[in-house]
Amino acid sequence: MSLAFLHAHDCSEAQTDSVWGVSWARNDAVVSISADGSLKQWASSTGEPYLPPNATAEYQTPSPHTLGLVSLSVSSDGRRALYNSLEGLTSLWNVETGRMEGTFESFMREEGMGNAEAAWSVSLNPSGSTYASAGSHGNLTIRSAEAETFGQKISTVFSGRNKFGMCCSFSPDGRRIALSSEIGHVFILDVESNTFVNTFTSHAMSVRSVAWSPDSSLLMSASEDKRLILYDVRASSGNAGGAVATFSGHSSWVLCADISPDGRYGLSGSADKSIKVWDIAARAAVSTVQDTGEVWSVSWRPIAPAVGSVGAFVSGGEDGVVKWWRGAGTGA
Amino acid sequence: MLSEHLSQDEDSDTLSGELDVTRELEELAIDFITQLCRAGSGSKNILDGESSESEETYPHKPSINLEMADRTRTDPVTGLHSSKFITFPKRSSTASVKFAQLFKVVNCMHEAVIDGVPVTKRDIFYRDVPLFKDQRVVDTIVDDVAASLKLERSDLNVRATSKGIFCGSTLSINLTSGDTIRGNDSEASLIPVGEEVHTYSVEEDLGWILIVEKDAVFQTLCRLNVTNHALLPGRGLIITGKGYPDMATRHLVKTLADSLSRTIPIMALVDGDPYGLDILSVYKYGSSRLSHENEKFAARRIKWLGLLSSELAGFGIDKDALIPISQHDEKKAFKMLQRPSNIMPAKWRKELVHMLHNRRKAEIEILSSLVSLNTNPDEGCPPQTDLSQRIPLFKYLHIKISQFVKSSRAQ
Repeated sequence: MSLAFLHAHDCSEAQTDSVWGVSWARNDAVVSISADGSLKQWASSTGEPYLPPNATAEYQTPSPHTLGLVSLSVSSDGRRALYNSLEGLTSLWNVETGRMEGTFESFMREEGMGNAEAAWSVSLNPSGSTYASAGSHGNLTIRSAEAETFGQKISTVFSGRNKFGMCCSFSPDGRRIALSSEIGHVFILDVESNTFVNTFTSHAMSVRSVAWSPDSSLLMSASEDKRLILYDVRASSGNAGGAVATFSGHSSWVLCADISPDGRYGLSGSADKSIKVWDIAARAAVSTVQDTGEVWSVSWRPIAPAVGSVGAFVSGGEDGVVKWWRGAGTGA
Repeated sequence: MLSEHLSQDEDSDTLSGELDVTRELEELAIDFITQLCRAGSGSKNILDGESSESEETYPHKPSINLEMADRTRTDPVTGLHSSKFITFPKRSSTASVKFAQLFKVVNCMHEAVIDGVPVTKRDIFYRDVPLFKDQRVVDTIVDDVAASLKLERSDLNVRATSKGIFCGSTLSINLTSGDTIRGNDSEASLIPVGEEVHTYSVEEDLGWILIVEKDAVFQTLCRLNVTNHALLPGRGLIITGKGYPDMATRHLVKTLADSLSRTIPIMALVDGDPYGLDILSVYKYGSSRLSHENEKFAARRIKWLGLLSSELAGFGIDKDALIPISQHDEKKAFKMLQRPSNIMPAKWRKELVHMLHNRRKAEIEILSSLVSLNTNPDEGCPPQTDLSQRIPLFKYLHIKISQFVKSSRAQ
């Protein structure tokens, strides 16, 4: 079975360097972050800059940072955008008001602590009160996401390996956090007990991105070993390696992944300049979309498509252009 | 008669110049000895006066502080250095060693100026290896003294031993001694120190100049006869400072940059990592540590030829061939990214940012380990009768040097 996806449109103005993160939220706006340090947002219907309802004349996206932005986590309703820069400046921006709710310099040494572990990847708790961050030494840290106490450390758990944390992600039900490392390990933290309950070692090369299924039961990892692996998080325990499927086909590093809102399709972007759509149940690729440069980020439209249609997704990559794609035959 | 008179004046000028320098060096020693005496007599008074009342607290511990120029911090407006101090006593057990090292160097300089016999930094090091332990200690002290006394190193009659080499028959160097170093297309020649050079002479058909970071790459190119190769656009010159370039190498590059027409590109081949870029930065903008001599040696028009991580994909090099960055690379990269834009061009910033994000760097060795390089089949390379064409490094340079020469001539 194969599906076709068509290029619907692009954002109205490219960012001046690679797009390293995109996120399509329920308000149908897409937020994108770039190597040029800027955060932008776009209305999905037109690709024009997005303005929230009741936006004042002064409404603006944050002014660009001096260094690139490497991690983005947007609340599912699209109201708040958490993002992190190359050197570890974590910021929380309120999309509706256009105001910064908090910033935290994770690279600064905290009192009484050893060396600072600058954050690389950040993920907002679905509840909105905290966020998780992964840093260079294998720790998963939970910090406050409330405006008054933004960045305040709540807990740190060591994964057991002093390796660079490439990605962390809260499960949609907020009960688990996945952490992936530069040497390929994927760890699952149980939030309530604040302990790591799983370690998956199916990859031996860096896992740059992980994505949860909407029901929080499956996790998909994207690795520099050119494969994606699907883990059943609930069925396995300990280090038995809950891998249930491997998706091969990319000819270079897989850089990003996402799972569709109905849980049926995986989505991946690669350094081989293509985007692949995977049928999870069939364990096979059903579509390959050719892009012009490395694809660093992909995101499904979070609203489940009408029965019979396959939905839409957005991608961002080397050329700094955010692109919308929709399943062929789905009409307008 | 007149000529005798003139030469006498010249001699007395030199003589008075020398006297100034020797006096400056002697002042440094006198300052130290004065402080030493004062400190010695001071403590005696304190002990006599107050030992019975407070044996545990000294009101003011006598110390020796020698003021030197801090070459890493310069006032952007006045160009003057801020100060650092060599002090005694200090927590560390090596406090007195610093003074010993300093005055050993000053003594050598003093001798050199009076005798008129120049001494090299290496010579000074070998006068007392156990005291200095490392060549760099001597290098630093020599430059510190020069900066503090606001003199050039040559005024102190200290010459750097040069480590840079060049290859290419288009360049000849005429020395003040009367000898000439003639460049060769298959062998390296040593670059002499600036003070020994009378003139550089370059043949008219010189087409390009390539500066190479590493000695190993330089040697490979030398053996391939790149400076006089049928496939390259004209005769060329290759130079290496074997890592961070010394003054002699920078002097040569600067002179060539200033004197030659802009149709002759000066290009640099460095690793696509922070250290490579830093080396390029020294040639192009000067060294942050020797800022008091910078403008004289910055060759602004030097261009970055490669190796850029971003271009490797275009040559068919797999991302897996790139080398993981180390913690050193990370720290260095972040530090460099803080430099102002006048010494950190946007293109370099972008490479560093992407390098940190990819967590990979591109070293020139990547080209050596390849079996073949994907190039456009329409490039027009003749069948592989020439061994050099099979070498990816050569193919890469062939393409890039041709591009740079073409665009330099177009301007």
